[in-house]
Amino acid sequence: MWKDKNPKKWILLGVLFAIVLFGIVLYFSMRAQAADRFLPIHEFTTPGGISVWMVEDHTLPILSLQFAFLDAGTTLDPDDKQGLARLLSNTMDEGAGDLDSQHFQKQLSDHSITLMFNASRDQFGGELKTLTRHKDKAFELLSLAVTSPRFDEEAVSRMRDGNLSRIKSSLSEPDWMAARLINDRAFENHPYAKNSGGTLSSLPAITPDDLRAFKNANLTKDKLVIAAAGDITSEELGTAIDKIFGALPAKGPAPVIKDLDITNAGKTYLFEADIPQTMIEIMMPAFDIRDPDYYALQVLNYIFGGAGFGSRLMDDAREKKGLTYGIYSGLQDYRHADALSISTSTKNESTNEMLSIIRAAMTTMQESGVTDKELADAKSYITGSMPLSLTSTSNIASVVLGLRANNLPVDYLDGLSAKINAVKKEDIARVSKRVLNPDSMVTALVGKPENIEAEKIKELPNVR
Amino acid sequence: MKILLFLVLLCIPFSAIAQTFGAQEFTLENGMQVVVIPNRRAPVVTHMVWYKVGAADEKPGLSGMAHYLEHLLFKGTAKIPPGEFSKIVKTLGGNDNAFTSQDYTAYFQSIAVENLERVMEMEADRMLNANPPPEHFASEKAVVLEERRQRTDNDPRAKFSEQMNSVLFINHPYGTPTIGWMNEIEKYEWSDVKKFYEAWYAPNNAILVISGDVTLEKIKPLATKYYGALPKKEVPSRERPALAPAPAETVLTLRDPALHQPVFQRIYAAPSAHMDSEDSLALEVLAEIMDGGPTARFYKHLVVEQKKSTDVFFDYTSAALNYGRITLGAVPANGTSTQDIESLIDAEIETLLQNGVTDVEVEDAIQRLRDEAIFARDSVSGPAMIFGAALTTGSSVQDIEQWPENIAKVTAERVKAVATKYLNPDKPWIRPPVSGHLLPPEPKQEEKADVEG
Repeated sequence: MWKDKNPKKWILLGVLFAIVLFGIVLYFSMRAQAADRFLPIHEFTTPGGISVWMVEDHTLPILSLQFAFLDAGTTLDPDDKQGLARLLSNTMDEGAGDLDSQHFQKQLSDHSITLMFNASRDQFGGELKTLTRHKDKAFELLSLAVTSPRFDEEAVSRMRDGNLSRIKSSLSEPDWMAARLINDRAFENHPYAKNSGGTLSSLPAITPDDLRAFKNANLTKDKLVIAAAGDITSEELGTAIDKIFGALPAKGPAPVIKDLDITNAGKTYLFEADIPQTMIEIMMPAFDIRDPDYYALQVLNYIFGGAGFGSRLMDDAREKKGLTYGIYSGLQDYRHADALSISTSTKNESTNEMLSIIRAAMTTMQESGVTDKELADAKSYITGSMPLSLTSTSNIASVVLGLRANNLPVDYLDGLSAKINAVKKEDIARVSKRVLNPDSMVTALVGKPENIEAEKIKELPNVR
Repeated sequence: MKILLFLVLLCIPFSAIAQTFGAQEFTLENGMQVVVIPNRRAPVVTHMVWYKVGAADEKPGLSGMAHYLEHLLFKGTAKIPPGEFSKIVKTLGGNDNAFTSQDYTAYFQSIAVENLERVMEMEADRMLNANPPPEHFASEKAVVLEERRQRTDNDPRAKFSEQMNSVLFINHPYGTPTIGWMNEIEKYEWSDVKKFYEAWYAPNNAILVISGDVTLEKIKPLATKYYGALPKKEVPSRERPALAPAPAETVLTLRDPALHQPVFQRIYAAPSAHMDSEDSLALEVLAEIMDGGPTARFYKHLVVEQKKSTDVFFDYTSAALNYGRITLGAVPANGTSTQDIESLIDAEIETLLQNGVTDVEVEDAIQRLRDEAIFARDSVSGPAMIFGAALTTGSSVQDIEQWPENIAKVTAERVKAVATKYLNPDKPWIRPPVSGHLLPPEPKQEEKADVEG
């Protein structure tokens, strides 16, 4: 063969060689590119004009599609119809098109499809998770649910009854009661204070027409963000997404939701319950990612109470004193309010001591800052643990959706480590003074704490 | 003979050996079993050590000791100061924790694969060298008491379930709560706990499970270096007394002032996968037919059609060294009493015992369960949990890998047979179930209208 001088063949081989070489170069350049990216998010627009961020991954025959309508959450519930958005999320998958509730659910379950809608303060969202072999059926059912949900009286009242009974069950859950109280006090006079799950009197007032009206007004394409991960190509996904969401109204009325500063700073509230342990929920004002100090705040929160084991609060309250099974702080980044929260529980007689420990930890942080080791360890965890969030198809889609919901750039995660690593001790000192002020704490207690000065709340707000 | 067997094995096509998770296993010379579940999704691993000891292995009067010991393993060795274990894991970008059940105690870290060796070294160290200083022993005791208050004593449903369980498992240690009784936790000292630790914690009584971006070839030398160096011990036997027959019907009622929503629930003793794998598989299919979602029997009949309930459950727990459990019940709808819902559930069971289940129901349930096995692979820590829980309760790697094929063999006759064997009110298995009515306090006269309205 090597003696063959047929020029045509050589040209052909040359072209083939060039194609293979090009392929190899392309492959390695793509790999190099992929290696630079923490998560290879592919950003594209469907033929119908809907923007999608996806991570294509064919390791398993599974795909997850997640979406959210921003500022279309429970905050929009009318005061006398609290729980409306939540009830919508419960009923969107309770029958659509020609399929009543049982037929719709049977189709989902026969194809092992998970379809869930959800409603939080800031958004109305959903997830579709399916095996690849059932993706067409999954897209069809989601499309039906999004475009023509039935809101049959039977299904609506069944879901309503379920929510009413969940509220009654929650009334024996101290952590739920403490959350109810803190949200009411820290977000006073703002829609965030409302009960997202509805109240015993508001849920019966909600009609199928209310659900329809809420959906038509608020689930509009201008508020929609979409993320996907798993075993599908962008072409196929794009076509499906146009079928699912394409028929929704382009725009809805722009919601007017005011930004809020945490209210009732310095006050302590108590809802008495005859239980051996007091639940403690605390909130204080903080700020979000638009603030240049946000990365320092993240590191500060980790060292203060975000880490769980190893955090200062856990060391002081659990490891040294044995006062609690757990104490955690966290950043509550809502779209219209930002807070640093602290949650814990301790036996009734230790409640005062626990509150003193929390205040002291704040003051110590303000006065003495953090050590070099604490700072280095925090950076090491925050940057080193990032891949742990990428271990399932749903987790990956949810990380991507989170970026979109927070209006972050597609390469945000690629630059995150550098930003965290750039935080200095003086940044933390500055942020401690901005945020960790014992006087700015709103405190909610549920239990029978001893020797506590607190305003007693006779009835949990927005429950009845 | 040997050659013949070898030839027969060769003839089995490789594909016939199902590989749901693709787990690989080997055993170290000191008897420690090692299971590796490769998953290349992300450059991370979940590293777990499972001990074949749990609350059911405690001596009477020392309840909660296995769980307390689990806490104390974070309180230092000669090499790692108290409280530092989790801090070091965090510094390496990992998360760690531990948990205790009736039959096992497990410790785990999820971490970037390049830091796996470090956590293996640390985990191997605390298998034999835990030594909590006295002040940490005392403060951790207080932490466990707070944990009990948080999980159980603050929650009427948890308190009630604890009691139902203790009434069901007469003469068997499963009747004692894993976290222990308050007055017993308060009693023991490190010297007591140390005896338990030294008796049970040994490489030959432990299983190493690693899931994630690794292979057996990579793990073998590391496992040999860190765990293989630990000495083998003689461990106590796990012989436990048998569940005693208790012919009287047992119905518990608790009126709790903190409760606003009544619940009816019932627990049956049942075989675990280890006790009877055939029956256990059929019970898994039965549970899926009864409560595998909103179109399954319980929800469809009680919630959708009869409107007597807002929530239902029918669960079967198969992973246990001794008895499994069937837990069923319902939250009654407004205006329905827990007695009413109990009668409706009894009627549902009666229909099941009379007519059995259909072939289509069985086929659909099996398909969903098999699909769940595919979804279970979509996780790094999940498969490690599945293997650890199964292997410490007497199942084998093969049992898990072949579970989808085995579950597919269940027939409608088998489902009817196990329903009849374990749910028959006229002929209970070992003893009748324990039924429970959890209720709010009796309404006062003036409140009645409000409650009913």
